[in-house]
Amino acid sequence: MKKLKIIWNGIVPSNPVLILAIGLCSVVAVTNFVKNALLMSFAFSFVLILSEVIVSSIRKWIPDEIRVPIFVVVIATFTTIAALLSHAYFPAVYDAIKLYILLVVVNCIIIGRAEAFAYKNGIFDSLLDGVGMSIGYSWVIIAIAVVRELFGNGTIAGLRIMPQSFQPALVMILPPAGFLVLGVLVGWLEWSIKRKEANKK
Amino acid sequence: MNKITKLTIVLGIVSAIAGGVLAGVYQITAPVIQAQNIKELHEGLSEVFPGNYKFEEFKGTLKSPDPAVTFGKIYLVKKNGKLVGMIVDVTTPGDQAPIEMLVGVNRNGTINGVKILKSLETPGLGANANNPHYYVNKKKKITFLGQFKGKKITDPFIPKKDVIALTGATITSTAVSKGVKAAGVAAYNYMTKEAGS
Repeated sequence: MKKLKIIWNGIVPSNPVLILAIGLCSVVAVTNFVKNALLMSFAFSFVLILSEVIVSSIRKWIPDEIRVPIFVVVIATFTTIAALLSHAYFPAVYDAIKLYILLVVVNCIIIGRAEAFAYKNGIFDSLLDGVGMSIGYSWVIIAIAVVRELFGNGTIAGLRIMPQSFQPALVMILPPAGFLVLGVLVGWLEWSIKRKEANKK
Repeated sequence: MNKITKLTIVLGIVSAIAGGVLAGVYQITAPVIQAQNIKELHEGLSEVFPGNYKFEEFKGTLKSPDPAVTFGKIYLVKKNGKLVGMIVDVTTPGDQAPIEMLVGVNRNGTINGVKILKSLETPGLGANANNPHYYVNKKKKITFLGQFKGKKITDPFIPKKDVIALTGATITSTAVSKGVKAAGVAAYNYMTKEAGS
């Protein structure tokens, strides 16, 4: 139960995007199309989970003074690997969001989890935290991307959903709508949490 | 051992391991990436010149008649050993970043095909230049790039005159038209003068 709670923590109560609200730059940028969001989710999860596991497994040998440079080296290594793999196996999507994949290296969610969780907890717990946070990040950006691509382009992951006569709302695939949809999602989550608390009383 | 030395050694070891891992992954992915680039290039070339042609890299250089447009690699298109056209890798300044495209030019001075390789135009506006389902002429199902096929290089290539512009993306339309025209003129001049009959 306690272990499950670590995973659940990343999915809703400490969701990195909706509740902690960190690392939002790439969220707005990659959510215009579902396939971009999917590749970003892969890169993000890959880097976060492996970095947390490595940081946690070497935490006893890391001198306190240079822990941040070591986190950065570990994260940068996995980011480069994720970028190379994406380039080799998903070239078309990689071309579209190359910049944001490389920028995972400075994503505050990852260095934040390395410092706040993996540096203080065991390997297995860090793995669970990485999985939870990755699911939390992925479901949010994929949900935003589905909404934006559906209304902005009439498709979901490239499949046409809306009829041909549908006139796409261009603003949805331009950056401003990233903030709009994100805002609505944050508001909805806050509202449902508040309502739950009120019901308990 | 003093503190600084110890820290340096630890950081050095971590960096060395990271470097080793990266070198290993690079060894695996580099050939895949390279093979992909070659495949993409071949697909691109046969898209602007569909059919049974041989492509040869052009050794010389062509001078762009438009100072804003630059040329990258150039290919000679041959059929049965005879030069039938050229393909120019053109870079033209787009709305946000340079647009790179392949322009195929026929020996008789018409454009055979245009393909965009790299662009960062606004989604839904300028990016429609590269959208195979966005028709500038809905009745005849002609895409923005498709309208250049068969166009004479002596035409003015000005959007809203002889080129149908993309809605809300005049800069992109102008940039692409300029690039196609520059490549067309340079390649045609070469083929009529230098290559002889």
